[in-house]
Amino acid sequence: MFQRKKECIAMLLAGGQGSRLYVLTQDTAKPAVPFGGKYRIIDFPLSNCINSGIDTVGVLTQYQPLELNDYIGNGQPWDLNRNWGGAHVLPPYTQSKTESWYKGTANAIYQNIAFVDRYNPEYVVILGGDHIYKMDYSKMLQFHKEKGAECTIAVMPVSMEEATRMGIMSTDENSAVIDFEEKPKQPKSNLASMGIYIFTWSVLRQYLIADEADPTSENDFGKNIIPNFLKDKRPMFAYSFEGYWKDVGTLDSLWDANMDLLDPKDPINMRDPSFRIYARNYSAPATRLGSGAKVTNSFVAEGCTIRGCVEHSVLYTGCQIEEGAVITGAVIMPNTIVRRGANVSYCIVGEQCVVEEGAKIGEHPENFLDGDWGIAVVGHQRTIAAGSVVKPKEIV
Amino acid sequence: MKMTGIIFSEMYSDALKSFTQDRNMAAIPFGGRYRLVDFVLSNMVNSGILNVGVLAKQHYHSLMDHLGNSQEWDLNRKNGGLQLLPPFATEDANAGGSRGKLDELRNALDYLETISKTPYVLLADAYVLCNIDYRAALADHIASGCDITMLATKEAGDSQGKFVSVMQTDSNHKVTSYALDYPAKPGDYASMGHMIISREFLINVIRDYTARGIYDFTRDFIQHEFNRGRLSINLYEVDTKVLRVRDVNEYFQSSLAILDDDVAAALFRGDRPIHTRVTDEVPAYYGLDCQVERSVIADGCFIDGSVENCVLSRGVKIGKGAKVKNCVIMQGSVVGEGACLENVIVDKWVNISYGAQLRGLDSNPVVIRKGVTV
Repeated sequence: MFQRKKECIAMLLAGGQGSRLYVLTQDTAKPAVPFGGKYRIIDFPLSNCINSGIDTVGVLTQYQPLELNDYIGNGQPWDLNRNWGGAHVLPPYTQSKTESWYKGTANAIYQNIAFVDRYNPEYVVILGGDHIYKMDYSKMLQFHKEKGAECTIAVMPVSMEEATRMGIMSTDENSAVIDFEEKPKQPKSNLASMGIYIFTWSVLRQYLIADEADPTSENDFGKNIIPNFLKDKRPMFAYSFEGYWKDVGTLDSLWDANMDLLDPKDPINMRDPSFRIYARNYSAPATRLGSGAKVTNSFVAEGCTIRGCVEHSVLYTGCQIEEGAVITGAVIMPNTIVRRGANVSYCIVGEQCVVEEGAKIGEHPENFLDGDWGIAVVGHQRTIAAGSVVKPKEIV
Repeated sequence: MKMTGIIFSEMYSDALKSFTQDRNMAAIPFGGRYRLVDFVLSNMVNSGILNVGVLAKQHYHSLMDHLGNSQEWDLNRKNGGLQLLPPFATEDANAGGSRGKLDELRNALDYLETISKTPYVLLADAYVLCNIDYRAALADHIASGCDITMLATKEAGDSQGKFVSVMQTDSNHKVTSYALDYPAKPGDYASMGHMIISREFLINVIRDYTARGIYDFTRDFIQHEFNRGRLSINLYEVDTKVLRVRDVNEYFQSSLAILDDDVAAALFRGDRPIHTRVTDEVPAYYGLDCQVERSVIADGCFIDGSVENCVLSRGVKIGKGAKVKNCVIMQGSVVGEGACLENVIVDKWVNISYGAQLRGLDSNPVVIRKGVTV
């Protein structure tokens, strides 16, 4: 009897609450947060998978999964609708003896061992749904095989200051990981874990079972599984990634990453036709600009109607900017309406908002002198009343 | 749904030769991200029609490529769905070519007899662009008790062109006069190339007429029978905005017509979206020095120049200092730095070199063919 087999499948941890995105993740999981005009954060890891030749992806959801489930559907937008394999949404479920949420990242995979076993893979890629980046996982897998690794961790050089907030690796001259510390006060190296792992499945399977049996464990990859691999001197290597990689877990970094799209050098390399980022598309007509519209240095998705002035901004699908409205340095999420004379600057405005006439959101840092400046944020489906003001750094 | 849709995809291929050298008429790009066929096909889907046959006779690769497995229209169904009906190649001398709609319909005979057995059939031409619900037209057809129902627009009379069929009616919208290839006088009704007919009646007509070597559906069946009082025609008036694309000039006018807010509102409705094939382009980027006014811009465009009164399809690049005015530019074309275009239709994948100057008339636009470098 021969069992069908996939060489490599991916498990995408998409249960993150994203509490540091505050109002933007109030009713939705972080990976479902809109990004870059027509995308959602999860489009990046999903597209990376298909562009790396991985056609089986388990998407582990937990927090507010409705929007995410609906978005992923049968995986067709990412070419992940397969008869054998494809995209599968894996929520936590009730078992005969226990009934539990995913306790940690490792536990989430542990609870889905049966799913992974169905594909009998050699290797499993573990991914997060919190970052904007383009990466060919097949190159990392090649590295994993060449090194004879049982675990490969993607790493990236960061500044020493950032290093204190991340998982930091020390490696030998052969890229083998010799030390790993979560959020060290005195970092020994500047190589940060990107939260992207490739494991040899048979080995990870044992460690997950052992980890589950350990009552003191937090069932987390960074805190438990990786240290255990290190302790047991398992062959574990660091794979250096060069390229754009940005955490969009905070409001500031989400705004920053959107602004990176306006860089003429295109650091994310969005336009590469051989490595496209796919997204679920809605049937919106092409964007319309009215007489008197003025749009410069902006990234605008389809279905918008623009009659006002837009500069240094990212407009998502289906926004309407009325005459006399001024949009500067703003990230405006899908189907939001900005009425006449409103002034929207240096802010993030959520989906389906209405900014009424003459309202003012955010301010240019140079014009704001009283107090601490920061971007203003408006949550989803809010109405900002006519003439009202949302100050810099304010979140509504 | 009690109705099957049959789409004729060629009709004005000859008059639109500039675009149809290597594509089917129904696959001509329109409105930044659509192809002509998207409108009639989306209308059918939005009206609940689940069985659609698309008749194609030549160059239908572009159309096949566009429709794919038709999942964007939700027509990838186990029961029903979309079926492309190319010429039925047999040793029969007449089978390959098609001289008229009856020849084409013969290719749909098997489909209508054995696959899509609904009581009614909607025969629809793809050159008509509008957003309508065919359910109301079907209800009107059934209530009228007539043999066929023609969908038509009331003409104000300022139109110079001729229409395939021009009709006059009595107060009950029953057709009293039926003229072919004729200019419409004010108050006349101009056919939209859409008609509703019972399936069994249609099958009999196709069998009967093609057996006798008759191929012109409108002249030799409809008009002939109507004039002899053997065919009753009901007219269903469509009072929303209807655009037509029957020659290059009309393509140009209709393309720029969607810049008008009222026309766009009639065509692109939130409750009845026009579906099209997804291409996964990035959103459009507007550069630091660009000026864009009164235009329609699709995804993937990269604009550094000045754009006024234009329709730009996906992935069009407008270089620094370039000026385009009253232009329709199709997918992937590049307008080089400092080039100046006015009243020009640019087909797909064209390269307009640095500094080039092209100027057409608004009544007679210049057409740059697919893939050319100027």
